[in-house]
Amino acid sequence: MTASSNRVSQAGLIWRALVLPAALIIIWAVLDAFSLLNSNILVSPTKVLVTAYQGFADGSIPGATAATLLRALTGWTIGASVGLVVGVLIGLSGIARGLFDPSISSLRQIALFAWIPLFSAWFGNGEIMKVTLISLGAFFPMALGAQAGCQNVPAPFREVGRALELSRFATLTKIILPAAVPAILTGLELSLNIAWLGTFGAEYLIGTGYINGMGDGLGAYLAAAREYARMDQVLLGVLFLALIGVALDRLVIGLSRRLIPWRTA
Amino acid sequence: MADSLTLSPPKKLDAGSVKIADVSKTFRVEGRTVHALDSVSLSIEAGEFISIVGPSGCGKSTLLRFLAGLDGPDSGRIIVDGEAIDRPSLRRGIVFQDHRLLPWFSVEKNIGLSLHSVSGSEVEKRERVQYLIDLVGLTGFEKALPHELSGGMSQRAAIARGLAPRPPLLLLDEPLGALDSLTRSHLQDELLAIWEREKCTVVMVTHDVEEAIYLSDRVVVMEPRPGRISQIFNIRNARPRYRDDPEFVTTRREITELLGSQKKKNH
Ligand SMILES: Nc1ncnc2c1ncn2[C@@H]1O[C@H](COP(=O)(O)OP(=O)(O)OP(=O)(O)O)[C@@H](O)[C@H]1O
Ligand SMILES: [Mg+2]
Repeated sequence: MTASSNRVSQAGLIWRALVLPAALIIIWAVLDAFSLLNSNILVSPTKVLVTAYQGFADGSIPGATAATLLRALTGWTIGASVGLVVGVLIGLSGIARGLFDPSISSLRQIALFAWIPLFSAWFGNGEIMKVTLISLGAFFPMALGAQAGCQNVPAPFREVGRALELSRFATLTKIILPAAVPAILTGLELSLNIAWLGTFGAEYLIGTGYINGMGDGLGAYLAAAREYARMDQVLLGVLFLALIGVALDRLVIGLSRRLIPWRTA
Repeated sequence: MADSLTLSPPKKLDAGSVKIADVSKTFRVEGRTVHALDSVSLSIEAGEFISIVGPSGCGKSTLLRFLAGLDGPDSGRIIVDGEAIDRPSLRRGIVFQDHRLLPWFSVEKNIGLSLHSVSGSEVEKRERVQYLIDLVGLTGFEKALPHELSGGMSQRAAIARGLAPRPPLLLLDEPLGALDSLTRSHLQDELLAIWEREKCTVVMVTHDVEEAIYLSDRVVVMEPRPGRISQIFNIRNARPRYRDDPEFVTTRREITELLGSQKKKNH
């Protein structure tokens, strides 16, 4: 009963979410039908569709998407892994907190793209630089989530561990980390989001155009489209960024719901 | 069928004696001082079954937490088996008022966790866990997560977790509070059977005067503000006891009247 009514409302939610985009597309198409679009500002929906078809046919769109995805996931994996370890350490140990916490809190205040000048001096403008930047972006939310999760384990659960004479290790694996899982997963979701946004920025801003030739990925695709005033490609690129970003987000949120059934019940 | 961990004799006979001497504790709650306990003294012999009754806020849980070693008094001493308590121990098992099952573990794993730091083989421990699950009537719910249990089922799982390491001193904070009367009287009898078999000392907090008389050697009545012992009732009736026995009824009336007069005095 409840399961099916839940499913109905889920489907309802999806339809409701589609109302606004659908309305925009219709307005767009109507404006185009009455030739009200200035092609320097907005091209017609059909033109975007044709460009999409061509992009798939010549492999440029799948290629750019794959490059961006790979880069984002690499940076995310590295940044989130380091963030998890550092966050757990800071969350557990007062000494680690004293050592790292002030520095991390300060560094976090620096906008991600403000690192670009420094990183390009250190790592050049190639792949290493981009992945480092993305990893750094992914690091902070993960570290913060893991730290908060380990630090805020409810006292009643800690007392269970004390009453059962659990060793430090058993307390960590059976009480602290499981209790921190929801916060860690939130950190994971946020860090993926930052990694995705950061990847685009890195591709768009670093090593494209004049200096080092073309990079690859959706960011470079968009940079080139802008360079050549290809409004159709700009729109297509933006659309793809949004679609894949949302898909990634949903995927991770769906997985994390499954991991913590006691949270969603 | 009981398992080998269940059948092996209690580790040490005569364990579980308690001496509470002049214990006081105050808390600061929103700027006010709360005298949770005010020079409470009580001696409990090894193997005794003690119930504590008293109105909400008279310090019952606080006293139990001290016995468990989760907290300590401001002044006074608590000695168990000749040693001052300075930390929790598996030799003093506590069943919390709020069951405190870990939400990420199944019933089975929650109970098994209390055997984590106990010696014994995995097989023995698994058998012990299953035996206790059957004992508290949770057969078929071994793999269930706490959020899938009713309040009473959670309470029973928590009791099983408290019993698993066979503590010589068993501390129960309203363990049967969330149960229906049938399950409740069944578990009362199970509790008695366990107590007789294990020869452990039991200190149980309850709001149910009848339950206290039915089970205990002594019923300790406490009163609040400041939390202290107002009277101790010796229950001498032989077990099994009958709730309609004249002596039982008289004692129940005495305790109920005492609790009632406290209420008047404090209002
Ligand atoms: N950790 C704490 N911090 C502040 N005050 C506390 C704390 N623990 C207990 N108290 C106070 O001490 C008093 C006694 O609390 P306690 O939990 O021992 O009562 P109780 O007899 O178990 O009540 P109940 O029957 O409602 O469980 C209460 O007034 C409570 O507010
Ligand atoms: Mg209490």
